[in-house]
Amino acid sequence: MLPFRYSVRNLWSRPLRTTMTVMVVALVVVASSLFLGLISSLKRTLVSTGHPLNLVVLRKGSDNDGASALSQAAYQAIRFYDGIARNAADEPLVSPELVVQPFFWTRDGGRENVLVRGVEPVALEVHDQVEIVAGRMFRPSSAEAIVGRSLVGRYEGATLGSALKFGRGQWTVVGIFEAGGSSFESEVWVDVRELASDAKRPLPYSGIRLRANSEAELAALQQRIEADPRYALQAERETDYYAKQSESANSLYVLVVAIAVFSGIGAGFGAANTMYAAVQSRVAEIGTLRALGFSRPSILVAFQLEALFMALLGFAVGAVASLLLAASLGQWLRGIGFGAATFTTNVVQLEIGMSDLAASLVLTLVIGLLAGLGPAARAARMPPIEALRRG
Amino acid sequence: MSWLVSPKGKRYTVAQMRWVTNHEEPLVRTVAVSRIYRRGVDEIRALDRVSLEIPAGHFVAFMGPSGSGKSTLMNLLAGLDRPSSGEVWVAGQRLDILDEDELAAWRARHVGLIFQFFNLIPVLSARDNVALPLLLTHLDKRERSRRADIALRIVGLQDRASHYPRALSGGEQQRVAIARALVTDPDLIVADEPTGDLDARNAETILSLLRRLRSDFGKTIIMVTHDPRALRFVDMAFHLDKGTLLEGEEAARAHEAIVVAASGGVVGHVLP
Repeated sequence: MLPFRYSVRNLWSRPLRTTMTVMVVALVVVASSLFLGLISSLKRTLVSTGHPLNLVVLRKGSDNDGASALSQAAYQAIRFYDGIARNAADEPLVSPELVVQPFFWTRDGGRENVLVRGVEPVALEVHDQVEIVAGRMFRPSSAEAIVGRSLVGRYEGATLGSALKFGRGQWTVVGIFEAGGSSFESEVWVDVRELASDAKRPLPYSGIRLRANSEAELAALQQRIEADPRYALQAERETDYYAKQSESANSLYVLVVAIAVFSGIGAGFGAANTMYAAVQSRVAEIGTLRALGFSRPSILVAFQLEALFMALLGFAVGAVASLLLAASLGQWLRGIGFGAATFTTNVVQLEIGMSDLAASLVLTLVIGLLAGLGPAARAARMPPIEALRRG
Repeated sequence: MSWLVSPKGKRYTVAQMRWVTNHEEPLVRTVAVSRIYRRGVDEIRALDRVSLEIPAGHFVAFMGPSGSGKSTLMNLLAGLDRPSSGEVWVAGQRLDILDEDELAAWRARHVGLIFQFFNLIPVLSARDNVALPLLLTHLDKRERSRRADIALRIVGLQDRASHYPRALSGGEQQRVAIARALVTDPDLIVADEPTGDLDARNAETILSLLRRLRSDFGKTIIMVTHDPRALRFVDMAFHLDKGTLLEGEEAARAHEAIVVAASGGVVGHVLP
């Protein structure tokens, strides 16, 4: 076998061509890593929002909070079901919630739907990943709001102490909360009664979130809620609910895979072209190696390795570039606004994970392999005398 | 029966040559070897029933105009090509029955090749170029580079070992190529117009180096050449024309013509 450095050094013997091809591969890596990173960040945000012991109770037939409505009576009935967890004060962990989706003005002048969630103080216990990190909880009936970390600085008035304008009123931001990177961080929380009167809703709630005592009791609760003949309700595990919301991201995968495949094919042609030129310019050299007794497979491997090294170099450049790009996008944009199935904006912190890079690496290796195949086979097939004569 | 003409004008028949080498098995032997190329319906007979024997430890030249078949014959003896008919024996191995991969493996062990345009690998240093054929052996890295250094010392380039080909002159590159041909200690060294791309001074250096490989190391060397100077260095010359080996008077006339050319038109001896 020919030594590795033969293949590696040959790359550097034509620096311009190699650099251009490496750049093309790097661009493909950047595009695929960024898109994959965006999708997985969105999924991560949505999926981490649910708690496995929480149920989402909605009117039968609604697929999300925004499309559901529930009466006070339904809330009161469910509140005292068995199997619901209780807090230190022995109150059931049942959070009635009202969701509206008003437009907010972004600081650069755009308009986006933001999810405003009316809650009672118990919501902080049902959604226990939510934690106020600055200021305090809102006081009921005081036109106060707390905002998720991702909204801070993105929208007009979304800073501690400013006035947020939406609906008919004006809300003073008194607290900022985090929620472990989940989509709650893209929400504004206010007093549920105040929000209902502001929004002039005939029914006060859009849904109920509650915490079951245990896995077994969760199933029982789910059955009992759905079987109650007085209210047409459905109950779904909260993690399933958010997983379903993230399914919209799956259709994006098709798009991303298409982009990756097509740009990959483009880069593959570029790399194959470079390798064909390399074979063409080294005909005499190939003849010499064959004459010295190197076998056809060893020539094949040398050229195939050269193509793979070139692709891997592209991956390395592309991976570094996309990590830098993701980090600086986070700095400049403070996250990327992403319309989920509910039409509200989820602010996703773009993070390129190992699995996204691994997928790009696989794509790169496929590019390198396929691009090298034709040229390497051509090199290996050359009869030594003819190659020596032509060179 | 074909005639072999020594540069000093002595003629031997192949039978006499056998006697001269004391009925030792010749290193190289061909039996009625032909090489026919087909271009569509046309047949080009590049080599026509050539039989010859070359004893071990000789430095011989194949001479003749272009198209005479001298390169074709050399390629067959080096195991780079296979004959259309006839037998080729080198160092006890019959080559015409080997397939392409077997030939490649055989070449790696038994032949050292020297080319007109040196054919060094530009991305490898002189030492790595010389060590290249050793990659096809089972020697470890240290032994490979030790042997490469010995070969470089023989050609007088030990202090250029880490230079890349582009940093070497044409003459130096050809000496690196000779070291590469030598490093595996092959049975046969084959040189295709080794002085064709060199000036007179470098050509002399290369020819005397090849001569030294024969006299100091007992190597058998076959050289295809146009260069009349070569006659001063070789033990004998085979003259080819139109695919056949010239014999008797024809061979002598061809020989004379070259000698005349080498001496600037004056017929006479070209002894060193």
